[in-house]
Amino acid sequence: MRTDQDLISNVNDLERLKRRSSLLFFFVFLLTVVGLSKIIELTVLDRQEYFTESEKNRIINVPVYPARGLIKLSNGEIIAENIVMHDLSIKKSLFDQSSTEINDLQRVLLEPELEIQSNISQITDSSDELILIPGLSSEQLAKYQINKEKWPAIELKTRLRRFLPHKNVFSHVVGHLGEATKEDKRRNQGIKYQQGAFLGKVGLEKRYESAMRGKRGVRVVEVDVFGNQIREIERTQPERPLNIFLSLNLRLQALARQELSGRKGAIVAIDPNTGFIKALVSSPDYNPNILNKTENGSPYPKEKHVDAPLFNRAISGSYPPASTIKPFLGLLGLEERAIDAGTIIKDEGVFQINGEGRKYRGWKEEGHGEVNLHKAIVESSDVYFYQLASKLTIDKISNFLSLFNFGKNTGIDLNNESASILPDRNWKLGNIGETWFVGDTVNMGIGQGYIAVTPIQLASSVSAIATKGKIFKPKLVERLGDQDIEPELLFSIELNKKENWETIEKSMIAVINSWNGTAHNLYKEGGLKIAGKTGTAQIKSLVDQELTVQEEYEGIRKIEKNRDHALFVSYGPLPNPNLTVVVIVENGESGSSVAAPIAMKLLEQYQKEILEDV
Amino acid sequence: MSRRAPLDYEINNPLTNNSHSFSGLFKDLPLFISLCVVLGFGLFMLYSASGQSIGMVSRQLIYIILGLFFMLLVAQLKPESYKNILMNSYWFGLLLLFYVLINPADGYATNRWIDLGFFNFQPSEIIRLLLPLSLVAYLCRRESRPRISDWFITTIAAFICFYLVSRQPDLGTGLIVFISGLIPIFLAGLPYKIIFGYLVGLAIVAPYVWSNLLLEYQRQRVLTLLNPEADPLGTGWNINQSQTAIGSGGLTGKGYLSGTQSQLDFIPESHSDFIFSVIAEELGLVGILAMFILYGFIIWRIFRISYQSETNFERITCSSLGFIFLLFILINVLMVIGIIPVVGVPLPLISQGGTSIVVHLLAFGVILSMKKISR
Repeated sequence: MRTDQDLISNVNDLERLKRRSSLLFFFVFLLTVVGLSKIIELTVLDRQEYFTESEKNRIINVPVYPARGLIKLSNGEIIAENIVMHDLSIKKSLFDQSSTEINDLQRVLLEPELEIQSNISQITDSSDELILIPGLSSEQLAKYQINKEKWPAIELKTRLRRFLPHKNVFSHVVGHLGEATKEDKRRNQGIKYQQGAFLGKVGLEKRYESAMRGKRGVRVVEVDVFGNQIREIERTQPERPLNIFLSLNLRLQALARQELSGRKGAIVAIDPNTGFIKALVSSPDYNPNILNKTENGSPYPKEKHVDAPLFNRAISGSYPPASTIKPFLGLLGLEERAIDAGTIIKDEGVFQINGEGRKYRGWKEEGHGEVNLHKAIVESSDVYFYQLASKLTIDKISNFLSLFNFGKNTGIDLNNESASILPDRNWKLGNIGETWFVGDTVNMGIGQGYIAVTPIQLASSVSAIATKGKIFKPKLVERLGDQDIEPELLFSIELNKKENWETIEKSMIAVINSWNGTAHNLYKEGGLKIAGKTGTAQIKSLVDQELTVQEEYEGIRKIEKNRDHALFVSYGPLPNPNLTVVVIVENGESGSSVAAPIAMKLLEQYQKEILEDV
Repeated sequence: MSRRAPLDYEINNPLTNNSHSFSGLFKDLPLFISLCVVLGFGLFMLYSASGQSIGMVSRQLIYIILGLFFMLLVAQLKPESYKNILMNSYWFGLLLLFYVLINPADGYATNRWIDLGFFNFQPSEIIRLLLPLSLVAYLCRRESRPRISDWFITTIAAFICFYLVSRQPDLGTGLIVFISGLIPIFLAGLPYKIIFGYLVGLAIVAPYVWSNLLLEYQRQRVLTLLNPEADPLGTGWNINQSQTAIGSGGLTGKGYLSGTQSQLDFIPESHSDFIFSVIAEELGLVGILAMFILYGFIIWRIFRISYQSETNFERITCSSLGFIFLLFILINVLMVIGIIPVVGVPLPLISQGGTSIVVHLLAFGVILSMKKISR
């Protein structure tokens, strides 16, 4: 039985419990206040901030890249297209240095002798991804699919890559793509390049990069914490890139390449009436597909490396024009009335300024005898033009040649065109540091010395003779998307006497047609009537040396790279020329026997092509 | 139930007068109903938090039914009848803790689990209930007030459990077990002089513990809490995502099943420890407050039972269990909103987890058994 004492004790115990509970409740209360204020801070005060944060978590923008614009010929022939390629790449962030993934990959997918070129250290900080094996074959693809679980750091990427069905034929025109470098990204601030994106490095691929790339679109996608795409919220379509259409003629281009057959040189064929280019070849060339990673192998044979196959000689090669300058000088002589058609000089193989001092030799030791302008062009008399040049003075020569684009960029729609050189007094003082000598002018008479031309520039200059003074900007692209590109007349040369054009043209026709013409080997009864001029550009100057011509020449030509360049400029058919052809074969020695037949074949081929088109 | 006449203070207490007439099986119907409401709400939220997994929800439902069954079973017992068993259950708890240290289940990095083949459970979850109950039973084993030695014995008993759990290693749970043990000791009347002595001792020992006994990851957890933004993808990432979920829910939430943080798996452990973030994101501040009110009602009923009961054993037991329940809610919420470090404490009655549910419901069984029914 309980006593009163128990009762009191019991009440006391309850009171104590309540007191102590209250103390604990006080702590609970404090913690509750702390908790609630934090919850209110999160849900009420900072709600917007956290909401934004949660949206950022779940929504990502995935760029959508349009397929690169195609390059076609105007007849629809595809020159550069996009093909699907499967690449294996490695993700650095997932790669464990100690794993054997790369060795495994090599063992399973590659021939034993093939090695994965890249090593992991190549991965720069900015790029997490490195392509290990580009362009998987279907067999490799199948092997990868079977084994992929074993290689978590290896990723299969499927992308569109550039492919040129005609491989080397258009290499210097189209150019190739390459991975965007830091430098590219810095310079193209308007365009954001995806990691590992390819962009045009040279040629039309570079020049028309922005037109052919288009603008990327965006897919707004909801993702989960693992990055899995749950659904698409919205999509902005990419802006369609433009296809470009070239004025080139496939068969002409292929023929030109075939005729150079890997020798160093360049060929430019251009429609003189519009400036549209029909063939543009630099040799040796390379296979752009290999640099585009759509074919495996080496872009060019190793032994060709010394010949700089990536160098576009047609727009960047710098050559002495040699005798091909003679028609222009003849024209100037007539204009300036320094000569007329009847002016005769005696060519005994040697020219001396004022009959004394250094001897300037002609290519023909015994000379051409009595020579007028016609014969001087047909037989390519050096002595005649030594004399004419010294009479004209450098200032007049320089001014006149500059009208014909000498010393200028033509403005062709390719990058990396180098300026040709048209020297004058100031040029020499500035670049050589010496004053101009009459001897320099004499050398100019046969297109030697400081003067240098590029094949494309020479083609535009010759076209001006073909059109009686019209200079068009040379162009490769004749249509951009739906928009036709119009010929661009840069300027017209007005002669005092219009008949002077005909005088010069007659002489240039006779270069082929006349029995004594330097390119008479091209003449065929009833064949195409064309105008032309040969040139043989000396590399080692013969005139500087007091050795006899023959000895010197024999000694030097044993070394191939010292041999003369063969040049031929031409247009036809007359009287209404539709094609100008410039052929330069480096170390080809003879303009008439090496360069001229190529030009003739191109002119003939082009006439057939035109007939087919009609 | 009562063998004696009602005491004066009981008659005068208005609370005792409006006892329900219907009180047989359920003992305290409002408490029972509010428990069922919380459990139902938990299932409802678990469906969303688990990524709409019917499997997980049905498994949870089975545990709930099991737990309710045992709760009602225990509720029918007389507290005096199991007081001695409770006192000795301490040794059973110790046995489990030793077992799990010596013989851990396979497949876990830490020694927290016991694998019974059909059912895995954490002894630390069970000791959370056994320890306070056994300590109350021990302190109230006589009619008279506990002796001085009893205070030290119970403190040491609680400390042993703390030490064993923290060796698993699970410092957070160890501390919670320890506090669960200290609450009944305090409520039973631990003299303030001794409390003061403990605090002085703690102040002396704490620096040593920080630098020598804590493992690196435990220190890291504590430090992360101080500045979670410093380390967004490391240990603080979970807290950041959780806070983002809670904050983005705003006042009324993004809607059931529409929480982006929850449904897209940005919230870690969204079905268990972090289910609060899911509730906050989908139901907003309003949902949270409703849940708190429900919890508050349950706690009020617990203390009502406590203060109405007649013996110290019953009162202290109920109050202790009430505070422990409160403590769990507080720790879980404070952890999820980033005020205290992440310790593995589920939200009572709501988070997924069989052991947690069953143990909490058993505790409510004990509470209900102590409900005084007046006739």
